[in-house]
Amino acid sequence: MISQIFILSSKGDHLIYKDFRGEESKDSISVFYEMVTALSGDQPPVVMSHKGLHFIHVRQGGLYWVASTKTNPSPFTIIEFLNRLAALTKDYCGSLSEKSVRMNFALIYELLDEMVVNDFGYIQTTSTDILKNFIQTEAVSSKPFSLFDLSNVGLFGAETQQSKVAPSVAASRPIMSSRGEQGGKNEIFVDVIERLSVVIGSKGVLMKADIQGEIRIKCFLPTCSEMRIGLNEELSIGKSQLKGYSSAVRVDECRFHQAVKLDEFDTFRILKVCPSQGEQTVMQYQLCDELPCAPPFQLFPSVEKDYVNRSVNLSMVLIFLKLRCDLPPKRSVFILHTSITPLPLSILYSMSQELSSPDQTAELQPKNKALLWEIPRFPGGAQLSALFKVDVPGLSSASLLEVGPVSMSFELPKQTCTGLQIRFLRLSPTQTGLSQRWVRYVTHSDSYTIRI
Amino acid sequence: MEWASQLCENRGLGSKMTDSKYFTTTKKGEIFELKAELNSDKKEKKKEAVKKVIASMTVGKDVSALFPDVVNCMQTDNLELKKLVYLYLMNYAKSQPDMAIMAVNTFVKDCEDLNPLIRALAVRTMGCIRVDKITEYLCEPLRKCLKDEDPYVRKTAAVCVAKLHDINAQLVEDQGFLDTLKDLISDSNPMVVANAVAALSEIAESHPNSNLLDLNPQTINKLLTALNECTEWGQIFILDCLASYLPRDDRESQSICERVTPRLSHANSAVVLSAVKVLMKFMEMLPKDLDYYGTLLKKLAPPLVTLLSAEPELQYVALRNINLIVQKRPEILKHEMKVFFVKYNDPIYVKLEKLDIMIRLASQANIAQVLAELKEYATEVDVDFVRKAVRAIGRCAIKVEQSAERCVSTLLDLIQTKVNYVVQEAIVVIKDIFRKYPNKYESVIATLCENLDSLDEPEARAAMIWIVGEYAERIDNADELLESFLEGFHDESTQVQLQLLTAIVKLFLKKPTETQELVQQVLSLATQDSDNPDLRDRGYIYWRLLSTDPVAAKEVVLAEKPLISEETDLIEPTLLEELICHIGTLASVYHKPPSAFVEGSRGVQHKRLPPRAGSGESTESPDVGQSGPSEAPPAVIPSQGDLLGDLLNLDLAPPTATVPSVQPSMQMGAMDLLGGGLDSLMGDESDTPGGRTEVQSPQPYSDYSERELGGDIGGSPSMGAGLGAAPAAMPASLGSAPAVGGGLGDLFDLGGGVGMPTGSYVAPKTVWLLAMKAKGLEISGTFARRGGIIQMDLSLTNKAMSVMTDFAIQFNRNSFGLAPAGPLQVLTPLSPNQTIDVSLPLSTSGPVMKMEPLNNLQVAVKNNIDVFYFSCQYPLSLLFVEDGKMDRQVFLATWKDIPNDNEAQFQIKDIHLNSDVASNKLQGSNIFTIAKRTVEGQDMLYQSVKLTNGIWVLAEMRIQTGNPNYTLSIKCRAPEVCPFVYQCYELVLKN
Repeated sequence: MISQIFILSSKGDHLIYKDFRGEESKDSISVFYEMVTALSGDQPPVVMSHKGLHFIHVRQGGLYWVASTKTNPSPFTIIEFLNRLAALTKDYCGSLSEKSVRMNFALIYELLDEMVVNDFGYIQTTSTDILKNFIQTEAVSSKPFSLFDLSNVGLFGAETQQSKVAPSVAASRPIMSSRGEQGGKNEIFVDVIERLSVVIGSKGVLMKADIQGEIRIKCFLPTCSEMRIGLNEELSIGKSQLKGYSSAVRVDECRFHQAVKLDEFDTFRILKVCPSQGEQTVMQYQLCDELPCAPPFQLFPSVEKDYVNRSVNLSMVLIFLKLRCDLPPKRSVFILHTSITPLPLSILYSMSQELSSPDQTAELQPKNKALLWEIPRFPGGAQLSALFKVDVPGLSSASLLEVGPVSMSFELPKQTCTGLQIRFLRLSPTQTGLSQRWVRYVTHSDSYTIRI
Repeated sequence: MEWASQLCENRGLGSKMTDSKYFTTTKKGEIFELKAELNSDKKEKKKEAVKKVIASMTVGKDVSALFPDVVNCMQTDNLELKKLVYLYLMNYAKSQPDMAIMAVNTFVKDCEDLNPLIRALAVRTMGCIRVDKITEYLCEPLRKCLKDEDPYVRKTAAVCVAKLHDINAQLVEDQGFLDTLKDLISDSNPMVVANAVAALSEIAESHPNSNLLDLNPQTINKLLTALNECTEWGQIFILDCLASYLPRDDRESQSICERVTPRLSHANSAVVLSAVKVLMKFMEMLPKDLDYYGTLLKKLAPPLVTLLSAEPELQYVALRNINLIVQKRPEILKHEMKVFFVKYNDPIYVKLEKLDIMIRLASQANIAQVLAELKEYATEVDVDFVRKAVRAIGRCAIKVEQSAERCVSTLLDLIQTKVNYVVQEAIVVIKDIFRKYPNKYESVIATLCENLDSLDEPEARAAMIWIVGEYAERIDNADELLESFLEGFHDESTQVQLQLLTAIVKLFLKKPTETQELVQQVLSLATQDSDNPDLRDRGYIYWRLLSTDPVAAKEVVLAEKPLISEETDLIEPTLLEELICHIGTLASVYHKPPSAFVEGSRGVQHKRLPPRAGSGESTESPDVGQSGPSEAPPAVIPSQGDLLGDLLNLDLAPPTATVPSVQPSMQMGAMDLLGGGLDSLMGDESDTPGGRTEVQSPQPYSDYSERELGGDIGGSPSMGAGLGAAPAAMPASLGSAPAVGGGLGDLFDLGGGVGMPTGSYVAPKTVWLLAMKAKGLEISGTFARRGGIIQMDLSLTNKAMSVMTDFAIQFNRNSFGLAPAGPLQVLTPLSPNQTIDVSLPLSTSGPVMKMEPLNNLQVAVKNNIDVFYFSCQYPLSLLFVEDGKMDRQVFLATWKDIPNDNEAQFQIKDIHLNSDVASNKLQGSNIFTIAKRTVEGQDMLYQSVKLTNGIWVLAEMRIQTGNPNYTLSIKCRAPEVCPFVYQCYELVLKN
């Protein structure tokens, strides 16, 4: 059972502190902060213990969300709970930052009281529907959108690797603006987010491909009405089903939010849900070992050794990369990072590069033994190439074996790799007043590796 | 909004906004200002003031002075304000208990409010105010709330019972709240059920034996129904509770499994894991040939795989759990190898866990894939990860025999990269491969030798030296190689020194002619120039062996080594079983039983898996499920152990005393070594069969023990590879205690067998430290007083998978200053399944502190793995000294002198001894009879006892002929020892 919950800023300031069982003193906060800052890279930070007190924490929005316990509870429960707490805080306060937590401390205490019902650390509920009956405090909204927040908010809160996509201003506001001064639009956002992890072997063979996807709803509708989400009719689930000749969309397995009604899912692929206010994941699905389409990128690398000056054994590694984007020409990829690690180098002298267009950049990071090539925009069907020359003293030919792999991170907007689509989005009964519905698709690279 | 930014500014966060309302810095008079505002008439102003107070409280300022003013705000209709006041109360009531009473009336009133929210809030807050006085007032409202019409109030009240129980358990029982709580399990509202279950589970944990949660099929049915309806968090409580239920038969087990299975597709991973726990546990009861069993296995895989798509924190926790599940039931995930392949952007701690699971899942079917992956990992950037990957290749070779060749060639490829740490790690694992598959891959030795100079880590150096020593006959320049290591002998770590010593002795035994000088050099370095006892002892043993009987030395040192197996890194089965019962909890992350990290009585119960289903088990070996506690420790024959203990103690106890006395003969032995020893060795080579038979030593078991010793030393257990299980061929009794005693006795020519006539009674050994609590080390023991020397007889048993070394012992301060008089003499490493008996002489000159109970002794035992603590109780007779016979006159005077208050009377029942026999028996334990009187058929014995610390105990024992019950009166100036003296009487007379 949870003994204490506290929220700390990244500098260790106490933002929220709540003791549920009176077992431990407040000193544990500073103990925790010392421990977490002293951690070295390879120590698992998830669970730490100090004199019989166990800390479990997550980091969200640049803050530490910590629970402590003296018993033997489920860390899953606690991590899920902390994530949910952070999500709720974000729902109620609009955004997640040190500032918003500070401004809404009374609200967060109240939330905590009702979620854990203060009760001896037993978690009670995290559903906004139930909570809104109890919560009295009004949220204090920070400025709707500021440049500072960019760093920790991705696309609708999706954790992107390169969170440089501007968040939708509309989506980051408190759900409880019941007074309606902010124009409280009846909006609903549905995101289909897929994460792609791919390993391509050195001969261009696809070795492993996984897709993890989810459908998220962020709902600002004040009253709860049933929503019907129609997915592709030909969607098939499970490994064993025959695909036939049609280009059916297939996933291996899916999980649904507790509130989703599935009576029309088997025949019509319709999800029925009464979304509560705030953000929730209604469906998660995954596809292993198979990609319905070709992987978005093909790489043709060549790594060679060349002597600059044979007499002093000053050698050079020539890395030639040809990268092709196999997407349809209309689509394009945003922000592509390509990095090669490791480079077999003890001392890196210098690098010269030849890139195919001026808006690309390349950088050598000796500390990580990495070479980073950045392409801001990559149109479908195009082919780019780059040549890097890295000076390395005393290079043996065996160490060329060590070069690579190439890993890429990118974002493919407006498309899903599984081909999952939302056919329609219907609110029934039809809402009085204006309600806006938004559907967005995006595919992120989770881990896209090409071995050399 | 603004106050927060002010705070930011105060803390240098640089926000631009200015004005501040709540988080102002402490100014003079701030408290007064707040006070005024709190007493304001305007509601809004009051609310703002309370908010400011709470804000100050959060940042750690003391605002307790405002207690009465805040409490005054409590009587309000505004729920928001009420909540804030309650928040304040919970924080400060503890420090101001008297003030808190002021709030009681409002609480009681609120408990009857029309609004259920307020009723619940009041009862919840009252439960959180941990002040004794308040709890009295809490009972009535709580009783009402437990039967409230509103479920929100009922569920809050249910939890309140658990809170109250924590504060005052007796009160809860007296008031009958527990029964009401039990009734709530059948409540119509699922959330109430879930909370009642959670509360009961927690209360039950602090009363391990109470039958609070008496689950029966009816209640289980109710829980399963509630499971479908309640919130995700409530589902977790209910599933955890289900896991503690023991179904009656496989059919019930199956029906529960069927109803739990749908939880596996829940979006909340905590629900999924709790469901997995229930299934893993109940599966144990299902017959394996059942169709449903197979279906269940298939259903378990997808949810576990899905967990790996979560955040890294959850992934890590999931992986730790999967690691356990894979060890218990590898079949669940055997086809899912690919999901454990690491991604380049996984955090390092996730990568390492994945690697571990990959090896556990490796099999002939997927080994090619695994090796290809591992080879990729071995060229990554992160050093720790690369090392682990290389090590993993070695583990694959040992686990999957068919892949060994491919693994070796992969390792050779990696050695070619010349990356320093990769080479070193590769050599360490190749050594293990050699151990597993002797005489198969020796062709690679040449390549290894090329890298000799680049090795700078002790483990790699030791591994390389081991390889050179082991294959000395095939390496032409083995002597040169080893000699080069010898130059910096004293700078090497112990590990390398020990290995070098053994390797050179091996070399000498294989090529005696060229290496005499070398072996002499290393022996003298080890025995004379080193201050490390391990090294010195091993040096002496070799020296002695070589000098007395080189042929025997050959048998010992070059003995066949037990094979290593891949199981060395598995969690031991008993622990694994317990951990499976704790899937999804912290225990499964630490891989430790909860008793190891949860303080107090909570969670100390050891959970076990249900017994295995009976049918369809013929193919299964009767392993895990059936090893009940009854057959746990192999019994050690106590008399033999004691005798050996005596021998060891009397003759060898102080190590400093023995070594010098042996040394001269050692020196002579060295001379001899080059003469006769060498001859016989050469002779042995010419006519092997003759030499062999002659060597068989006359003692029945010394041969065995030496073999054991040699095996251990040769195999270098300290190198971490582990020896695997002790050779099965060795009979248990020989493998354990006598191995040490006999072997040493023989080695040092001390095997005289000077058995002491044991006068005093020695209790049989009892288990003091359970293997489960001490990472596989089990300790049982007893105390004895032999010839005026107090001894602690210990049996150390290794029930873990790896070898234990470096034993040491310490006592906490105790009532009579007992302390070890010498170090714990465990001379050889303790291999798995081996038992060693040791006798530890004790002195009474240690620091004194009164213990409760008086004869309690807290002991810490250390080995190479960890430090373990246990406590035991010694019989007081241990402290009865031999000169405890008091003069008659003095006795009389003392008896009169001690006040009658100090006299204690006891009954000793069922003793069928006459007074003389009893008196003799007692004398053996230093209870001396001074006088005897017979009055009216009643024998009165007057006895005296003296304790080590000089306390005299006087006793009068009355024995009525024909009556088996004795009456014992004990007088002592320190009356607290009387009951313990009585205990000794009883023990001695009854045995």
